Amino acid sequence: MIGKDKLFSTFEKVAKSSRADETEIVFVGNTSGLTRFANSTIHQNVNETNAKILFRVVNGKKIGVASTNSMAFNDLRATLKNAVEIANYQKDNKYFMGLPEQADYADIDTYFDNTAKYAPKERARMVKKVFVRGNKRKFTCAGSYATGDGEIAVFNTKGVRCYQPVTSASLNIIAMSETSSGFAIGLSRDVDKIDPVALADIAVEKAFRSKKPKALEPGDYEVILEPSAIAEIFEWVNYIGFGSKSFLDKTSFLSENIGKNVMSDLVSIYDDGADIEGIALPFDFEGVPRQKIFFVEKGVGRGVAFDRTSGNKNGVASTGHALTADEQGEGAIPLNIFIGTGDKTRDEMISSVKKGILVTRFHYINGFLDTPKAVLTGMTRDGTFLIEDGKIKHGIKNMRFTDSMMRAFSTVKGVSKDRYPIPSWWDAVGCLCCPTIHLGSLKFTGTTDF
Amino acid sequence: MKNKFGNVLDWLKSKSVDYADCRYVRTEKESLRVTDGVIDTLSRDVDVGVGIRVIHNGAWGFASIASTKESDIKKTANKALQTARASASAKKENVKLADQEVFKDRYKSPCVKDPFMVPVDEKIGLLLEISDQLKSKELIKTAEASMDFFKTNKIFCSTEGAEIEQDIIESGAGYSAIAFDGNEVQKRSYPNSHRGDYATRGYEFIEEMNLLGYVDKTREEAIELLTADECPDTEADIIICGSQMALQVHESCGHPTELDRVLGTEISLAGGSFMQIDGLNDLVYGSPIVNIYADATIPGALGSFGYDDEGVKAQRSPIVKDGMHVGYLTSRETAPVIGQRSNGTMRADKWNRLPLIRMTNINLEPGEWELDDLIADTEGGIFFDMNKVWSIDDRRLNFQFGVECAREIKGGKLGRMLKNPLYTGMTPKFWNSCDAICNKNHWHVWGVPNCGKGEPMQTARVAHGTSPARFRKVKVGVSK
Repeated sequence: MIGKDKLFSTFEKVAKSSRADETEIVFVGNTSGLTRFANSTIHQNVNETNAKILFRVVNGKKIGVASTNSMAFNDLRATLKNAVEIANYQKDNKYFMGLPEQADYADIDTYFDNTAKYAPKERARMVKKVFVRGNKRKFTCAGSYATGDGEIAVFNTKGVRCYQPVTSASLNIIAMSETSSGFAIGLSRDVDKIDPVALADIAVEKAFRSKKPKALEPGDYEVILEPSAIAEIFEWVNYIGFGSKSFLDKTSFLSENIGKNVMSDLVSIYDDGADIEGIALPFDFEGVPRQKIFFVEKGVGRGVAFDRTSGNKNGVASTGHALTADEQGEGAIPLNIFIGTGDKTRDEMISSVKKGILVTRFHYINGFLDTPKAVLTGMTRDGTFLIEDGKIKHGIKNMRFTDSMMRAFSTVKGVSKDRYPIPSWWDAVGCLCCPTIHLGSLKFTGTTDF
Repeated sequence: MKNKFGNVLDWLKSKSVDYADCRYVRTEKESLRVTDGVIDTLSRDVDVGVGIRVIHNGAWGFASIASTKESDIKKTANKALQTARASASAKKENVKLADQEVFKDRYKSPCVKDPFMVPVDEKIGLLLEISDQLKSKELIKTAEASMDFFKTNKIFCSTEGAEIEQDIIESGAGYSAIAFDGNEVQKRSYPNSHRGDYATRGYEFIEEMNLLGYVDKTREEAIELLTADECPDTEADIIICGSQMALQVHESCGHPTELDRVLGTEISLAGGSFMQIDGLNDLVYGSPIVNIYADATIPGALGSFGYDDEGVKAQRSPIVKDGMHVGYLTSRETAPVIGQRSNGTMRADKWNRLPLIRMTNINLEPGEWELDDLIADTEGGIFFDMNKVWSIDDRRLNFQFGVECAREIKGGKLGRMLKNPLYTGMTPKFWNSCDAICNKNHWHVWGVPNCGKGEPMQTARVAHGTSPARFRKVKVGVSK
């Protein structure tokens, strides 16, 4: 950790030499470790100390972006010079509004010393406990245990000084037998909130109950989607639907549906970068405070995320969801997604199903087929079960779904009271907090051999 | 750098490591993108650091740092050593590496015109012209054109005495048009979807693409798709274009023949493989005309290099021969499991990632057919063109792929356009239904710049040499 004072004093010094009208410097640094295991042995064990320092310079409405991973003063100066040179090649970006000024952002605790100090030997000790739980019931275990700390700082010459130290810990476990597998996952900024033994027991139980799975014909089924399955779906729905670019391109299912019913009134989806129930980060990479925004509120389409440039293009203010300057061509994308909770328990929802499918998680979802209808396809994996007469009967071979999420989530019958943070591909700076959801209908279009 | 590595490796030897290697990587990247006439990406990135692998007491440790100072490298080596000690506390067996010839060598990828020396104005000018031409009709809602360039310098040294330096330049470009009529949204791209085509070549590769020459076709097809009929749900004979065949090979042959996956060590993220070791030289993967091989030596192909990140020389090896599964992509650690030496496929995203088994150029050998003759030979069917959707199960059996555009084939002729086309199947059954592959006139090595694998996630740049091919009785379209 470099620390807030040293980072900003270095950036002040570097920015003094800038010949641009405005200069922004964003720092994203991390020291992290990841222990990977399979066949109940550790096979990869890695550590990384890295940073990305991004310069965005502005001359009029011309923008130049350059980045480095070196904090050496000469490298920072050279990168700044590079950004200024790039700006000279630019054409005016008519939508660019200039860099923002400092605004208050939520004061939240996202750093846990115990997580930052967690060493490879401690990860190995916990992973061995996972192996013991698996071995006890004759399952092998695979997965990964990641811990680390980092710092995110946004500086600009108009006075923005945003800084957030962060830590994170995540453990995923797959328990496996010859014919089945089961999955569990935990995520927290505080490593002590991860319980490897409890997670191992969930994975093992799922693998045990799904042994010798039976084939089920594709078709339209009621489903209970557990939090990981919900997260995988909404990770994609977010990507194709909740960002500014897809909204403005008209490829988002929300583009033509603001104010209209798009899902069941039991469904609310929002982003809140200040809520520490998730992996919170209270400001975006331009230094704008993240606002709580609804994409879907009680089933009605409400809006999408914007940064300053895409907001200006759409005639609205930034919602505080800018990506780093090198990614801003992708527009604004939400990173701290919450699916609203309901009033049921998982067991109550299962007991209400006459015939249906319980899905632990999905694999390789893709949502590019028909984005205005939010059509996704993907496979189930690591614990898929037949529910009959309100009870989990047996494991079933994995199945492919292909369906519009607008249609499927218009059939919601229940949402659980509890929800869990699930990591995503942007898990250093956000996650999805998801409940278990009972859908009245999801279309399964194929099956596989295991 | 080699001297610093020598000192650090000597220190690691003094700590009785079984094996260690140090890898320096410096990558310079330039990205340019124009969207609707606005330059929304024009950025350069420099990324430098060192990664160190250690085997101590039969277990792996890896540590990396964004520094090239010898003191930092030594601290990082110590961290790798301590991490290996932690791994050893939960090991089942000692890691053993296959024997390997030790090289001291230098490799440079072919490059006629350094893309970093081409004036930015020239590159931006071309992208702006493409964007303007794509947007010349009102129904085009969004026009995007992009280029990416990478310049990488790598130095690899090991306790076995390897000293390898490589300089690789990669270039890529592409564009797309999104059409919208108030109701329907459709997209067409050139020369391929997902940011175009890539190669380990210089700017001459971009110039050879004739980007401006296909703008009108791309724009008009995007508009035509708005009013096209939906792809029917049926069983059909299909012909798949070359770029979609690249995706088909990638997902249903490339990934399942990575031996680390087969051995279960990638199960936690990307899954396993149906191509198990007991099926080697026994599994009928495809029809007898299907021949697939890995070849990292094709000059200029995106998956080509001199040496992999374990210091193994680039090579060609068969994966499927006359329809039979005969080989895997291997590493020094995994190859002994099947009684072989590594065929050189271990690559890391950058200095801060552990090398993994990655595809190189995984190619489908060309067949005998001219494309026109193949279409003429198909009484009824569908022609699938350019990837849009990809999804496959975690053992690489059940797949479902969608493309941007399809055309009906009727009486041996291409007919009406079909939108939202999908085809789906089970991998071995699908490849066994392959009855025709187009010849070398239609064969092209397609660069895939975004292959994801591993934890932490790594992105590899790989490629696939393919030509169009025909498959019989495939399920197409899916009720949505």
